[in-house]
Amino acid sequence: MRSRFRALAGLATLAIVFSACGSSGATTNPTVGPTTGPTGAASGTAGTSPEPTAAPSYDTTPVTIKVWDYYGDTTPIKPTLDGFKKEFPWITIDYQALDWDSMNEKFKAGLGAGEVPDLATLDMTWIPTLAANGALEDLTPISGGRVNGKPITDQYTQGAIDAMTFGNQMVSMLYDFDTYSLYYRKDLFDQKGIAVPTNWDQFRAAAKALAESSKPGGKLDKYLTAIRPNSFHFAQYLYQDGGSLLNPDNTAAVFNSPAGVDAVNIQKALLDDGSGKYWSDADGDLTPAIKSGEVAMFQDGPYYMGLLKSGVPEQSGKWAVATAPYSKQPGSYLGGTGLGIPVQAMHKDAAWLLAQYLLRPEQQVGVFNYAGAAPATTAALQSADLTKPDPYFGGEQPFSVFLESMKTSRPFPYVGAWDDIDVAIADAMQKALLGKAPVQTALDDAVTETNALLKK
Amino acid sequence: MIASIARRFRGASAGYLLIAPVLVATVVFLVIPMVVSGYWSLTHYNGIKPPQFVGLQNYLDVLSNPRFQRAFQNTIFFVVMGMGIGPLLGLGSAILLNDNLRLRALFRTSFFLPTMTSLIVVATIWKLMYADNGIINAVAAFFSLPGHPWLTDPTTALPAVVVTAIWQGFGFETVVFLAALQAVPKEYYEAATMDGAGPWAKFRWVTLPGIRPTIVFVYVIGIIGSFQTFDQVFVMTNGGPIQATRTIVFDLVDRFNKLDIGGASAVAYILLVFLAVLSYVQLRLGESRD
Repeated sequence: MRSRFRALAGLATLAIVFSACGSSGATTNPTVGPTTGPTGAASGTAGTSPEPTAAPSYDTTPVTIKVWDYYGDTTPIKPTLDGFKKEFPWITIDYQALDWDSMNEKFKAGLGAGEVPDLATLDMTWIPTLAANGALEDLTPISGGRVNGKPITDQYTQGAIDAMTFGNQMVSMLYDFDTYSLYYRKDLFDQKGIAVPTNWDQFRAAAKALAESSKPGGKLDKYLTAIRPNSFHFAQYLYQDGGSLLNPDNTAAVFNSPAGVDAVNIQKALLDDGSGKYWSDADGDLTPAIKSGEVAMFQDGPYYMGLLKSGVPEQSGKWAVATAPYSKQPGSYLGGTGLGIPVQAMHKDAAWLLAQYLLRPEQQVGVFNYAGAAPATTAALQSADLTKPDPYFGGEQPFSVFLESMKTSRPFPYVGAWDDIDVAIADAMQKALLGKAPVQTALDDAVTETNALLKK
Repeated sequence: MIASIARRFRGASAGYLLIAPVLVATVVFLVIPMVVSGYWSLTHYNGIKPPQFVGLQNYLDVLSNPRFQRAFQNTIFFVVMGMGIGPLLGLGSAILLNDNLRLRALFRTSFFLPTMTSLIVVATIWKLMYADNGIINAVAAFFSLPGHPWLTDPTTALPAVVVTAIWQGFGFETVVFLAALQAVPKEYYEAATMDGAGPWAKFRWVTLPGIRPTIVFVYVIGIIGSFQTFDQVFVMTNGGPIQATRTIVFDLVDRFNKLDIGGASAVAYILLVFLAVLSYVQLRLGESRD
């Protein structure tokens, strides 16, 4: 009896060991190439458009695809899934809602473990690292250069296509876009007789006129202009002054040019004269400061429209959006959310069907209606929902401003070391804006570090 | 020899079977990952393509990387400040609680409560307290003192994070020291009193030797924990400003997020070796005076 017990316990132990050591993460990658979805010749160049083909035929073998979505409560994706299921009944969606931070970590952890979704929302700033490591499927063969039967090139701006392309591979489909314009408290501008700034001198003057002190004779602490020490805002001002981050072939950093120094100095000037409010990324989003009245002007993307409406509803009607004031030319960084299919995904073709569905104009409008963000396809941007007067913004049409900004936006350089370069630029901004180093020195140091990273 | 081993196993077989699940879990969830991570530290590996053996290159890259060097420096500061102040506070509060004062249980619970609270919650609360319009600056303003950007000033950001860690951690030290103090035989204090020893002499010659093993334990565990600081930094400052709060584990996670699994593993092993050596030295120092 005792020996039988020992034998059973020993067998149980062995079973636990072998099951734990067994490969649960191994997945086989399906053959790349459309077995479902629109048929058509694959193109070797990202985004090119072959001849139109016959109506699509699908492999209707039942399949379940995993979708990871970081939009949170305001997701525009989840409301579309019932409609997708009706149209593609053999495809079941295993939908998982995550937040932006968790998605970054979970996705990367999943890559190592082979536990990846079939389709995920990915911040465009993550794309360089993911694409450089071969984590994302090249969508050129699977798409045949077309989305929903139409050429990709007809549905996005050139900047958007550049943002979706790494090397000669199309690694994501831009789902919402992010480009900066000027948000300002119109009620205060009207009250104080401040004109909407169109250049940097006017911007500085407007910021000064806007700022107030809550105590007589005290430090300016109300209605300030947010100054954000990160690469997004540095790039904004840099591009506006005619500068660039890297040289055309992305082999050397050039952001320590006079344009780069000017880009930092305009922000530093606002901090020095007290009209600027230093707000780092670690401080989170601006809504608490906006709510308290501490911040009354800032530059940011369309998604802030949703943040203002949900976080500061009491200020409805007081805000407006205008083209960001520039020094030499309009310019902004271009980012947003892309739909990506991991190279390890089990059901790429079905995932591509869902991606196309989400990019239909009627679904893209949901990006605005649910998330308050800007849909990426040009067709959706013309829709009535996006061009109707917005009561939060005094009955104006803020999307038209962002659409204009999108035309002169460019994505960050798609180099594998971008994450580290981003940190180098942010550090330089912080050093310069906090007065820890002269502006030129801070930028020169960051350029030296960036060049070393580019050589690796 | 095999027969004697088999005989010994038969004699203790029930014990081995009882500890088998824990042993298996330790092997599966600790030993195997450590071995695999050790292998990865010798490769260029991004979690997607097969690992490419590069020998000690990852270690050389990590040790020569300025951000890692800064992280190491910051971590040393964190440990020195945290372990310099935290255990002293813990011992001090334990000594106060060791007297039979009223509501001792309430005080003990209050001191230990932060230790039981989630690191993320504590860090979030302190981040709000440190904010420009937070309670710390509000109190300063009440006394007509200027406010300060505690977490955005590179000079004060790290000390501010350490203060948070001390506030959360000293309750654990209090409870541990209190238990140790209560285990020191009262006769020793009586004997010291009869010999004319004052409070300081009693503390120096009775209390400290009596709780020496606990002091060693607190410092070994505390230093290991401090070297692994991540949560407070992630929530409060995200490693900034200007890498002023970047710690070793933050550097490790950052590498992982960049899909540099080999580099992240190298950081983990550098930390492991450093902590193992440090712990060995501490234990030997703790033993040498016994």
